[in-house]
Amino acid sequence: MNRDTFSTVLRVENRLDELTRIASFLNDLGAEWTLNERLVNSLNLVLEEAISNIILYGYKDGEGHTIEIYFRKSENEILISIKDDGMAYNPTLRADPDVSLSVEDRPVGGLGVFLMKKLMDGVEYQWEGGRNILNLRKKID
Amino acid sequence: MNVKIEKAEEYAFVGVEGRVDTTNANELENSMLQVISDGYTKIILDCSGLDYISSSGLRVFLIVQKKITAAKGQFRLCGLQPGIVEIFDISGFTSIFSIFPNKEAAMKP
Repeated sequence: MNRDTFSTVLRVENRLDELTRIASFLNDLGAEWTLNERLVNSLNLVLEEAISNIILYGYKDGEGHTIEIYFRKSENEILISIKDDGMAYNPTLRADPDVSLSVEDRPVGGLGVFLMKKLMDGVEYQWEGGRNILNLRKKID
Repeated sequence: MNVKIEKAEEYAFVGVEGRVDTTNANELENSMLQVISDGYTKIILDCSGLDYISSSGLRVFLIVQKKITAAKGQFRLCGLQPGIVEIFDISGFTSIFSIFPNKEAAMKP
């Protein structure tokens, strides 16, 4: 972890057990960058939703792949960029669920991307050089 | 994640602690569905030790609520931490669950 520039990168494989490593990495990063627990949990949730989608639906070849997660902290925001070489998928185009429905009418699932959009201050997608790039921005005080 | 189950005559009390995420939400789902198939339609879920939940965990909460609602039972949650309440608010879950401040309040008829 580069302590001088407040930027770092985590590389994970396309396996669900890597989510545990992401959580522990974020805890360490939160301590190092003095982020409060609530913010660390929000970032963890957003990463879990994004990365689990990539792992579960992004690859059809059964091969191992590396997903890169870049973190950068400036004075007033945290920027996370996720880069993967899975199938092109733009999560920002996914329709929001109707969260006003009754329990009987609520479909199970479909909350992951919605939570990501609501918890972050910016979610932007690009397809570049054969890779998905998802940029997540969160303002900090 | 740690799940504790205590079965009383009328109610089943379930306590969930730690993190409910993509890697373990199915364990919570199996425990909850087992309690329902044991015949309990009144369940109190103590979330005071729940630190983190992702959409995989929310999915389990909704599945249980649907089953209990269909069985005309009661599914009550208590002790939600502020970070969890935020996730519930965003998801519209605050209005479809019965939420109590603590176990004592949840046990009142």
